[in-house]
Amino acid sequence: MHTRRSAILAGAAFCAAPMVRAQSDAPFRFALTPVFLDNDAAVISALRTALGEAVGREIELVQRRTYQEITGALLDGSVDAAWTCGYPYLQHRDQLSLLGVPVWRGAPLYQSYLIVAVDDAATSLADLQGGAHAFSDPDSNSGYLVTASDLARIGTTPDGYFSRSIFTYGHRNVVRAVAGGLTRSGSVDGYVWEVLNSVEPGLTARTRVISRSEDLGFPPFVARSDRMDEAGIMACRTALQGLGKADKGREVLRLLFLDAVVPADPALFNGIAARMAALAGG
Amino acid sequence: MLRFRNLPVTVRVPLITAALMIILALVASQGVLGALGRVQDARLSETARLHVEGLAVALGPSVLRQDVWEVYDILDRARQASDGQRLLLTVVADERGRVLAATDPHRAPVGEDAAEFGLGAVAPEALRMTGDPVLRVTSPLQYQGRTIGGIVTELDVTDLLAERRQVTLWLLFGNALATGVLAFGGWLAVARILRPVGALVQAMDASGGAPRPIPTTEIPHGDPGLARLIETYNQMTTAVEERAEAERRLADRERFVSLGRLSSALAHEVNNPLGGLLNAADTIRTYADRPDVVRQSAELMQRGLGHLRDVTRAMLDQNRLDRAGQPLRPEDFEDLRLLFEPEAHSRNLALEWEVEAGAEALACQPAAPVRQVALNLLLNAGAAAGKGGEVGLKVSNGGDRLSIAVSNTGNAMGDADLRRLLASGPLPPGGGVGLRLVHDIVSGLGGTLHHDRAEGWTMIRVDLPVTGSGHA
Repeated sequence: MHTRRSAILAGAAFCAAPMVRAQSDAPFRFALTPVFLDNDAAVISALRTALGEAVGREIELVQRRTYQEITGALLDGSVDAAWTCGYPYLQHRDQLSLLGVPVWRGAPLYQSYLIVAVDDAATSLADLQGGAHAFSDPDSNSGYLVTASDLARIGTTPDGYFSRSIFTYGHRNVVRAVAGGLTRSGSVDGYVWEVLNSVEPGLTARTRVISRSEDLGFPPFVARSDRMDEAGIMACRTALQGLGKADKGREVLRLLFLDAVVPADPALFNGIAARMAALAGG
Repeated sequence: MLRFRNLPVTVRVPLITAALMIILALVASQGVLGALGRVQDARLSETARLHVEGLAVALGPSVLRQDVWEVYDILDRARQASDGQRLLLTVVADERGRVLAATDPHRAPVGEDAAEFGLGAVAPEALRMTGDPVLRVTSPLQYQGRTIGGIVTELDVTDLLAERRQVTLWLLFGNALATGVLAFGGWLAVARILRPVGALVQAMDASGGAPRPIPTTEIPHGDPGLARLIETYNQMTTAVEERAEAERRLADRERFVSLGRLSSALAHEVNNPLGGLLNAADTIRTYADRPDVVRQSAELMQRGLGHLRDVTRAMLDQNRLDRAGQPLRPEDFEDLRLLFEPEAHSRNLALEWEVEAGAEALACQPAAPVRQVALNLLLNAGAAAGKGGEVGLKVSNGGDRLSIAVSNTGNAMGDADLRRLLASGPLPPGGGVGLRLVHDIVSGLGGTLHHDRAEGWTMIRVDLPVTGSGHA
């Protein structure tokens, strides 16, 4: 993987110079996943600075409530690149291309967690029938697709299985909903839960993980396929994949509890594709 | 109350001061607590109103969409943003009255009936402290001109109750302390101010009815009113002494006056036998050689001189009031009769003289004062009976007393005379002091005086105790 990343980086660098067009003064618009820790001002600020330095343009970080809005903005060109989820990426695979995938705990993979309140006796999804359930976003892999596809495999749907299912539009919100007792259980991004477990142990301590999914492709950075050759996009890809090389970039990675951003193959998301098929088949 | 009235003024005034202070403190405390209560109510009402109104604005769209998470998120963030102490629970219900979300979903699960949370809840502007540590406030949720649900909030007012309790305790403590200090100060001040009054009271009480003047060094010249009061008192003490002295002198004089009244009658009494005696003396001189005539005349002279001797002895005895210790004897009444008969003859009075009491009963009484009393009463009775009237004396003993009743057929006694005789108050103006002397002597002997008027007779009876002090 290291070799391939180096090659892509080299290619990007090679391509970058002749492709430099008259760069507009307009800022580079980068959309952040709403599912992530979007409430941390330090992360936002560090990311903007690091990307801005590397891209050589002012970075405008765009935050939206739902994946759907982000995807829409990406597709209609109102944002240039986005950190989104593998599920929306696959939903629009014909129109979107990967700029890189974060590496967490040594691999570009993560899991979906099923959580309940710490004093809840449930041990699996089977015990949660009839209770209220919190999803993060209908376009989130870990926050919806995993549980929905699991239910599809047993021939049911979230609305049929749970007494009530709500979307909180944020993994942290799922943890809050379960910790506060609003819902009995929740589907949450394992990476987010683990990071929260480090930075907000008081919140996660009120929840308990009862099941973990298989490893799935980590939420990737994407841009529109037809714009991959644009200098800004290419510079962004270079900047993302080179975050580990500069101080500011390392600071961002440290704040995000990530190791690096590496080039990725669409095959990384085959697991998610399988779950999409299960859901569609169900 | 009677006991309070009996307290000295130097105790009563500080007590009244303290009582007034306590009443004042109670009224002031009530006012402070009332004001505090109103301030707390207003603060609470305002807090509740702002909370509910703010939430209503923020929640409107989410409630309209029935977005459980959004409603919960807003409530949860509002709870964390507030100090978190006051707001215990906020429940948002949809228009069907079902819980949409609450800050504590464990207490108010989504979809449950919200009615139970509305029990006892009032509108924010009607919120008042009731003594309950948890108060509920409710408000309909208005959005775009229609009611889409409701909000119920539980407020924890434990701190406000504690504050009120604290203030009450401090007020109680402070007021008790202030009242104590002021009452003590009042005590000291009033005691100091009233010290001359205390001296006045002591001076009046000290010598048992004979007031003594207060030395000029003790007169508070800084207080003109009190100084004048004490000076007036000092003048009064002098006047009282002078008056007592005058009464003493009058009483003594009365004794001589009564004797004086007797003197003309007595002179007549002495004069009558004198004629006979002189005749007898002439007879003896003329018939010195006739022993039978001389013997007869000498016997006549002896009888006359004996009568004169009795009269003079009676007068001497009557005048010797200081013969302390001489017991009363039947002879004393014979003496009295001897003394009174000339007065009776001169007024042509009929005399009923009856001494039933035996010598033993009489011996219990001292002779001189009883004789003085009886003579005074007889002379008064004689004067009251008038020409041709009747005067009676009856001395009897029965049980534990000796009674001397003097009666006459004259007019009834006047009020002034009765007061002189029977009462101990100041002497009415005019008139003599003979009757008052009778009263004083009888009182001194431990006896009592009784007056009766029946069938044209006025009767004064003196009852003297048989085992009286006079025997000592």
